[in-house]
Amino acid sequence: MRSARGVMSWWWMAALVVGFAAAMADAQTVDGVAVDAEAELVVAVPDDTNNMDPRIGMGSTRSAYIRQVFESLVDVDAQGKPVPGLALGWKPVGDLTWEFTLRRGVTFHNGEPFNADTVLFNLDRMFRRNLDRWGVKDVTAATSFEKVYPTVSRWEKSGDYTVRIHTSEPLPNLWDALGREPLVPREYTVKNGIEALNERPVGTGPWKMVAWKRSDSMRFERNESYWGSPSLFKRLRFQVIPEAGGRLAALRAGQVALVDAVPPLDAGVLGRESGIKVVSSPQKLYCRIYLNARPKDKFDSGGKDGLFGDPRVRLALNLAVNKEGIVQKIFHGYAQANASPVASVAYGYAAQEPYAYDVKRARALLAEAGWKDAGPDGVLRKDGETLTLQLLFPAKHYGQGFDETTPAVAEMLKAVGVQVVIKTIDYGGLLQTVTKGTLPYNGGFSACRTSNNLDADDYLRDWTAITLINWAPYPPELAELYRATRREVDPQKRLKLLADLQRRVRDWAPVVSLYQEVKIYAASARVLHFVPLTDLHMDFRGVALRKP
Amino acid sequence: MSRFLLRRLIHGVVVVWGVVTVVFFLVRLTGDPAAFLVDQSATRDEIEHTRRLLGLDRPLAEQYVAFLLAAPRGDFGNSIRDKRPAMRLVLEHFWPATVELAVAAALLSTVLAVPLGVLSATHKDGVADHLSRLGSLLLQSMPGFWLGLLLILLFAVELRGLLPAYGFGTWRHLVLPAVALAAAPLAQNARLVRAGMLEALQQDFVRTARAKGVPERAVLYRHAFKNAAIPFITVTGLSLGFMLSGAIIIETVFAWPGLGRLIVQAVPGRDFPVIQAGVFVFALIFVALNLLVDLLYAVVDPRVRLS
Repeated sequence: MRSARGVMSWWWMAALVVGFAAAMADAQTVDGVAVDAEAELVVAVPDDTNNMDPRIGMGSTRSAYIRQVFESLVDVDAQGKPVPGLALGWKPVGDLTWEFTLRRGVTFHNGEPFNADTVLFNLDRMFRRNLDRWGVKDVTAATSFEKVYPTVSRWEKSGDYTVRIHTSEPLPNLWDALGREPLVPREYTVKNGIEALNERPVGTGPWKMVAWKRSDSMRFERNESYWGSPSLFKRLRFQVIPEAGGRLAALRAGQVALVDAVPPLDAGVLGRESGIKVVSSPQKLYCRIYLNARPKDKFDSGGKDGLFGDPRVRLALNLAVNKEGIVQKIFHGYAQANASPVASVAYGYAAQEPYAYDVKRARALLAEAGWKDAGPDGVLRKDGETLTLQLLFPAKHYGQGFDETTPAVAEMLKAVGVQVVIKTIDYGGLLQTVTKGTLPYNGGFSACRTSNNLDADDYLRDWTAITLINWAPYPPELAELYRATRREVDPQKRLKLLADLQRRVRDWAPVVSLYQEVKIYAASARVLHFVPLTDLHMDFRGVALRKP
Repeated sequence: MSRFLLRRLIHGVVVVWGVVTVVFFLVRLTGDPAAFLVDQSATRDEIEHTRRLLGLDRPLAEQYVAFLLAAPRGDFGNSIRDKRPAMRLVLEHFWPATVELAVAAALLSTVLAVPLGVLSATHKDGVADHLSRLGSLLLQSMPGFWLGLLLILLFAVELRGLLPAYGFGTWRHLVLPAVALAAAPLAQNARLVRAGMLEALQQDFVRTARAKGVPERAVLYRHAFKNAAIPFITVTGLSLGFMLSGAIIIETVFAWPGLGRLIVQAVPGRDFPVIQAGVFVFALIFVALNLLVDLLYAVVDPRVRLS
């Protein structure tokens, strides 16, 4: 039997250990500032995700949620550069094979180990192969990898932590195309079905999802066995507040500490308020006017080619738009003009000579293309036809700035003799039109596109096959140059080809480039080291919360 | 009474069937959701593959028959966006969030409207009447989103979190959205009660009751208000129906996870199963409330017979 003194000394020791641990937790500092390791960071976001299965799609809203829980082989840093994620490295092995070396010692939140089998299973799901063998259902996926990357032929493991992916033709951007897809656990998915990925997602990421109230909030807890640096606060909550005014009021009331998607107009005011920091970062969302330049056999044309087939006309329309004016007056500086077809934050982006706002030059180009006889209404004509643009405008979909930009651009185009007829339409209606190919021969539409990938290829692919947004297919010489970028495996040579293609696409002007989005966040002074990404999600690794 | 109920029940079934059928075909007229689910760089092939997975490539008649067979079981299929059973999704948003908000706002707008309307009528053209009418005018004129934002700025920001700016779960979260949602119906109800009371107070039975020495409170509430209540009950029933169908603006301003936001997101996204399940629930609510209103008529006015 232990003596009373012995028991007491055990108690003392236990108390000391607990006290020491507490003191250590208390003493946690970042840059000399005491931080609260047990705190909760509440982030006000405009929308809830509707699914947590990465295979369904990785749009901007879904990405923000999914990438807290799931990780991909290739990660991204704050500058948008690829960095090792679940793969420590990747390299081409010859022209037709890529090899990924996987990180060891990583486990999913349920303890299932991450290894080469995980990657093979995910590749099977991505390319819709062996689904019957695994007993998992197919899903409606945003990206049909088997159709977008048909040259990916097979995959295999060479050891538990090495995966090789083979292609029938060189695919230099494979590391990005496949490497950015978040990976789900094999055993868990096979055992519980793909519904479980949505209801109870289990990933390798720094945050475990612990509760999800639809349309209201999602709660996460720190993954204590995370392979990387652990998060510096314990709980994370994404609180859905659809109205921007409501999000900012919640920040001012101290009920949330970080606000996503701050309207540009509010950013200036917030920046002057004490206790609030405004940070921003250029994004991949790129807004444009797509013009019908398809040949008549590529859409429901009524026998006419698209009216905007002449690159001089499209270039003229680019020169007629005061892009800097849009950036400054509508977005208050929180947007970028970009003459490259590739977002400035993508890998392989090459800056291009801006489309100068030059009405005189625009008119000259239109005259060169035969559009010179202005009628009494000022609208240009050619062979009895008026230069009319029937512009489909999906209002209330891309935000206030976009909604203001489209009518402003219409006025600018009128100034060079283009009659613009704006047809406001809901986004679903626009999708139906472009799906069925019933855009008028003199039609166009304003829309934005983003990317879940890092590589420029995702943007430059837009004008290859006929797709929803391809209304100006590449002419043969550009199509050949594009194919060359897809064949070149030497990184430096490929970058040169990409730059060349961007320059030539800039001159060929398939779209009227409007602006590239800059995303704005507002944070309370409690939030330390939050750095916005150029990617679609937020990264809270390294973020800390100051002790109140 | 039982024949009346049976007849109304059959009416109700026909109404619900008619509504869901019309909606089934109408939503399909606007196109299908496949293009929403694929990247913008998707080809026609990819869109067709998605349509096949969703079963939207089947003939419309076949889809309708399958829908009619499954709907009575509450099976409206899986939400196209959320990949979860549509009815479950609708019910999750309906209860408790929407019901809680609708009931609180309906209670506020009826319980306060009666004394305000009566006070206004009994003090016609007096200070109380003017104040009540002015207040009603203001509340009816203010857009809900504006009033909501003002309430947030006052109670959450200026008064440093006296009430929360957003969210759902406790009575404190309920106060501001319920007040904002109740404002316009409260004003409308108060004016309705006032008008009904002014008319009732001129009637002979009121004079008789007063001559018999019935206490004034009983004259007002037991005799006059009962007669003024029929239009008030009708409007309150309809108003509760609309509130239970979701209050999109108030839900958006206060980040309230109710049915209104769910349906409003489902419509542009062409999420057929959710739209159909939502409309089914709305139709049931309106049928049930109309029946309740009819029953209440008989309770309030003995001249109404349920036969």
